[in-house]
Amino acid sequence: MNDGWNIVVCVKQVPDADDVTIDPDTGTLNRSDAPAVLNRPDQNAVESALALREEVGGTVTAITMGPPPAKAVLQTAVGAGADGGVLLTDRAFGGSDTWPTSLALARAAEELDADVVICGEESTDSSTGQVPPGIAAHNGWSQLTYVESLEPRPDEGVLVGKRDVEGGYERVAAKLPVVVAMEFGANRPRPAGLHRKIFAETEFEPVEWTAADLGIVDRVGLANSPTKVGGMDTATPVERERVRVDDVDELYDHIMEVL
Amino acid sequence: MTVDISEYRGVWVFVEQHEGEAVPVSWELLSKGRELADETDEPLVALVMGDGVSHLAEEAVARGADHALLADDPVFEPYRADPYGEQFRALVEERKPSIVLIGGTHTGRDFAGRVAVPAHAGLTADCTELAVDDEGLLLASRPTFGGDAMATIKCPSHRPQMATVRAGVFDASEPLDEDVDTTTAVEEVDVVVTEADTLSTVIERVVSDVVDITDADVVVAGGAGCEGNFQPIVDLADALGGEVAASRAAVDEGWVEPARQVGQTGKTVRPHLYIAAGISGAVQHLEGMNDSEYVVAVNSDPNAAIFEHADYGIVGDLHEVLPKLTAMIREKQEVVA
Ligand SMILES: Cc1cc2nc3c(=O)[nH]c(=O)nc-3n(C[C@H](O)[C@H](O)[C@H](O)COP(=O)(O)OP(=O)(O)OC[C@H]3O[C@@H](n4cnc5c(N)ncnc54)[C@H](O)[C@@H]3O)c2cc1C
Repeated sequence: MNDGWNIVVCVKQVPDADDVTIDPDTGTLNRSDAPAVLNRPDQNAVESALALREEVGGTVTAITMGPPPAKAVLQTAVGAGADGGVLLTDRAFGGSDTWPTSLALARAAEELDADVVICGEESTDSSTGQVPPGIAAHNGWSQLTYVESLEPRPDEGVLVGKRDVEGGYERVAAKLPVVVAMEFGANRPRPAGLHRKIFAETEFEPVEWTAADLGIVDRVGLANSPTKVGGMDTATPVERERVRVDDVDELYDHIMEVL
Repeated sequence: MTVDISEYRGVWVFVEQHEGEAVPVSWELLSKGRELADETDEPLVALVMGDGVSHLAEEAVARGADHALLADDPVFEPYRADPYGEQFRALVEERKPSIVLIGGTHTGRDFAGRVAVPAHAGLTADCTELAVDDEGLLLASRPTFGGDAMATIKCPSHRPQMATVRAGVFDASEPLDEDVDTTTAVEEVDVVVTEADTLSTVIERVVSDVVDITDADVVVAGGAGCEGNFQPIVDLADALGGEVAASRAAVDEGWVEPARQVGQTGKTVRPHLYIAAGISGAVQHLEGMNDSEYVVAVNSDPNAAIFEHADYGIVGDLHEVLPKLTAMIREKQEVVA
């Protein structure tokens, strides 16, 4: 393989976590007033995809699943240097949990003939971390999660990932095609180039695929999602004293009191 | 795709192990699994996979499992997602468990998705509460948005009902009477994967003993405000006989090992006293420390969010406050001694 790798990077639009509020009456999340942003861990995924392309050649294609405005996160990825973007958008996807979501992304990755699929560690809105292994499982591909750094070995057709594991790390060589989940904060995402950014915002148009295009109409959406939210409780906030102390002596006394 | 859910029975607990040593969360899940199995009147089954790990299958029985399934083969050491996933999938298809619990470790979360997809199972990530309702349906609850809300997830029409569960939220089961013959309850299962079919190879694995901050009574945590110097944190923890912990920012900088990270993607701690120094109080951090009994905050920014979540707060430079505090504590210890 000398003509490089087809690298696919999965990105997600999420409500800015700092701006999500909880309706005290209904206990439901008010996401609508929160501005939508690129899931922060996905910035690390985009950076790794671009860095990988620099090493092995090939292309980087960003994909996202969401309503039409989710195009914005593809623009962000293209602005950073991705070659193109695919928007999986269809009412049929509505209400999908991680099972159908990873199916749609897996089908799209297959369609794009991906060698490597790179995701962020988890999304800041649902934080399951289940989509990357889900994509790999749907396609029967290998997977590398909690990855700190990547070392491509194109001649052997493998990608080596250094994974963070409890108490240390391991290095795992995975056969292509492989799905990677980059650890949040694993790298420093590069800033978007000005020209690329202008291109992304003015000229770039994503390719759009529906569930029918992917051949999965009756396998996605709420009806095909095994998990259902059975209830949302506002957690009783932990009551804290919130006492401000002025000096270390006073702090010391309080600490001795509670110990 | 729907399944006949009445065919599915039993609570399974995955006993995560590395090099023959069980991960503590496995035993925590076993005790919680025992409760759920008693409530639903179904068997509690421990699933042990590895190379030369029959002792763990026996230990699981000694700790309360009705029986243990043992998949013992060199292909399972060290852990890799694909052979583990494939074996588990075969077992689930054959034996149809109703509930499957897996530790919310990196290994557990790597592996759970690999199982849930082929089984078309519902999988809830990183739960902190588990219960069953009147119909025996698993209620898996997890904090969302920094612990401001708890979402309860069910899977009414798919099986198994799977959950990964945070370490440190349940108490571990203790071994029962040592005289009980545990070997009869262990069943060796057919290994369906071969090395030739695997998709990955572990080239190197470097791990040391993992510190466990989840059990500590006193935790002193440092954040980005430490600016590379964690000594004040270490000294204070030492003086108080507590454990050192950190925010993700400090871990990412490499000042502290990842096992000491507190928060959404780190550990949940429940100490008597939690001291947060140079930590701003981001929702993802609060999620891991909200169960602490007393929280003390040291931060140079009077508007830091952490003060809203602390019992006692002092505005100041941690590099001055902590050493003074440590000196006072040490002084008192000398007087007592
Ligand atoms: C998906 C995801 C998962 C995450 N998981 C976690 C997690 O598990 N745990 C976690 O902690 N974070 C997590 N985070 C990151 C989190 O959002 C914050 O970025 C992080 O907690 C900030 O760490 P910090 O408070 O140490 O640093 P900062 O936010 O930079 O705060 C440093 C604080 O130190 C104070 N300070 C500076 N100098 C001094 C001084 N000399 N003396 C006293 N105070 C000083 C400052 O006033 C400031 O309040 C996650 C984020 C994402 C997106």
